[in-house]
Amino acid sequence: MENVLTKVQDVFHEAFGIDAQLISLETTPNEVPAWDSVGHLDLASRLEQAFGINLDVDDLMEMENVREIIRIVNSKL
Amino acid sequence: MAGSPEYNFAGRLAKRLGEHSYLIDAASGETILPCDLPQLISNFAGGLLSAGLKAGDRILVGCILSPPSSIAYLGAMYAGLVPVPIEEGVLMSSLSGLLKGTGARAVWTETDSRIEGIVDTGVLALRGYPEEKRTYAVPPAPREENDLAVLVATSGSTGAPRFVMVSHGNLTANTEAIIRSQNLGADEKAMLILPVSYCFGASVLHSHLYQGGGVVFDRRFIFPDKVLHAIQKHECTTFAGVPTVYNILLRRSNLRSIPMPSLRRFLQAGGPLAPQRVAEMRAAVPATKFYVMYGQTEATARISCLDPEHLEEKLGSAGRPLDNLTIHIVDEEGRKLPPGQTGEVTVKGPSITLGYLDEPEETHRAFKDGWLQTSDLGHLDSDGYLWIDGRKGTFLKMRGVRVSFAEVEAKLAAVPGVYECAAAAVPHPESGEALALYIVADKAAGEVVERVRRSLPTYWTCDSISIVSEIPKTARGKVSRASLPKAS
Repeated sequence: MENVLTKVQDVFHEAFGIDAQLISLETTPNEVPAWDSVGHLDLASRLEQAFGINLDVDDLMEMENVREIIRIVNSKL
Repeated sequence: MAGSPEYNFAGRLAKRLGEHSYLIDAASGETILPCDLPQLISNFAGGLLSAGLKAGDRILVGCILSPPSSIAYLGAMYAGLVPVPIEEGVLMSSLSGLLKGTGARAVWTETDSRIEGIVDTGVLALRGYPEEKRTYAVPPAPREENDLAVLVATSGSTGAPRFVMVSHGNLTANTEAIIRSQNLGADEKAMLILPVSYCFGASVLHSHLYQGGGVVFDRRFIFPDKVLHAIQKHECTTFAGVPTVYNILLRRSNLRSIPMPSLRRFLQAGGPLAPQRVAEMRAAVPATKFYVMYGQTEATARISCLDPEHLEEKLGSAGRPLDNLTIHIVDEEGRKLPPGQTGEVTVKGPSITLGYLDEPEETHRAFKDGWLQTSDLGHLDSDGYLWIDGRKGTFLKMRGVRVSFAEVEAKLAAVPGVYECAAAAVPHPESGEALALYIVADKAAGEVVERVRRSLPTYWTCDSISIVSEIPKTARGKVSRASLPKAS
């Protein structure tokens, strides 16, 4: 999980220009100004590339915080 | 001061609220009941006056898509103050510039306590509702039709915020015309995901409340299915979105499988949505009518509307002018052009606003003799339907011929496999300028590039075709050409 978190933090940094250290398991869109509806899609495609996975519509709906994102990524690795 | 409470737009609106005028926050479930809403607006107005503010004073209102910020916005207007609705995040990050630009005497936010620390001396910082133990209820302040009702921020050509001065008469005229164009009944309930600081969002709030209906606010469009489920749960009748919103619904939501039997209409404005996407929306939710509209902040909100009955016949058009507006297409000397010829779209009528705050020269240029010069290029067809062909400054010149980005993007959008697209211009040694194309592909990206290349007319010069994951957009959902990656 550690490694996945680090990689997810890097993706957040690339997608939203936010300091990777500010991203915790509990981070939600409320704390990241650029994490809006378009940002969410950008985040998803960056996650797909970084982990070599496919995220479907239902996955996107469940990505409500970093913990959920990691759970979904892990389930596809 | 002369004037009448009848001309106060928020006063008129409060008087017309009805048994369906609920304000609901979809995420928390917080609900303002129809029986309480008029009192809350009036009480908020009275609270501002007893805090020492007076009619004509400007107040920055931090908006977060919620019942309280809508009440604050309407309450300030009801008191005769001039609200300046700004998204709360933007308000907090550019407070000093906004205070300076508007001369506001007060700032209101729903929850953000940081304003109390950073506001200049002499500026009142207000938060939440007035103290509940007292009643501050007041009647609507008397206003003249041409009195300033609201300052709406819009991005100017330099990127610095510019404020459009909207009068009480403008709001009344546009709201009533919108209600007629959309056949809004007294039992409507809008799902609002657009901020009230944006003229399209405000127009949905105004028209539904003015007609005695209600509004559900939802900040969760990041997860579109939540919004679709909220439409179902709260039995919303109207949904409003910009092109990006519909692209997301079609591609990244369960739009086709979440039933929304109450939904009567989709409203679309805020830039062109590819006709193919409109057709897909129709196919995805056939029982809900689709309204394509065109508007500008400088015209209060809406200018034209494509009646759903003529959607297929006139697909790609922005519809006919609202029934109290006149559109002329003019050439560069301001001469009216006949149907079929492209020129600048100009608009006249009671919802053309008072101009830009503290910008007399720009106001004079853009509001010539009561005719709003939209900077959009378009033509009227023989049936009086408006077709937007591009925007001044949104052309490139290839081999000496002007081609609009809108035309290029429309052509690309029609290629199978292209989901979204954007075009930009790059210098080219032979053609002067050439196209740099950006494509979000549906599935098989490799074939799409080839198909796009084959679809381009031979007299266009294409420098590059890049497959990208998203098209960068402005906060208003329009293609941000400046943010497109440099093609390699």
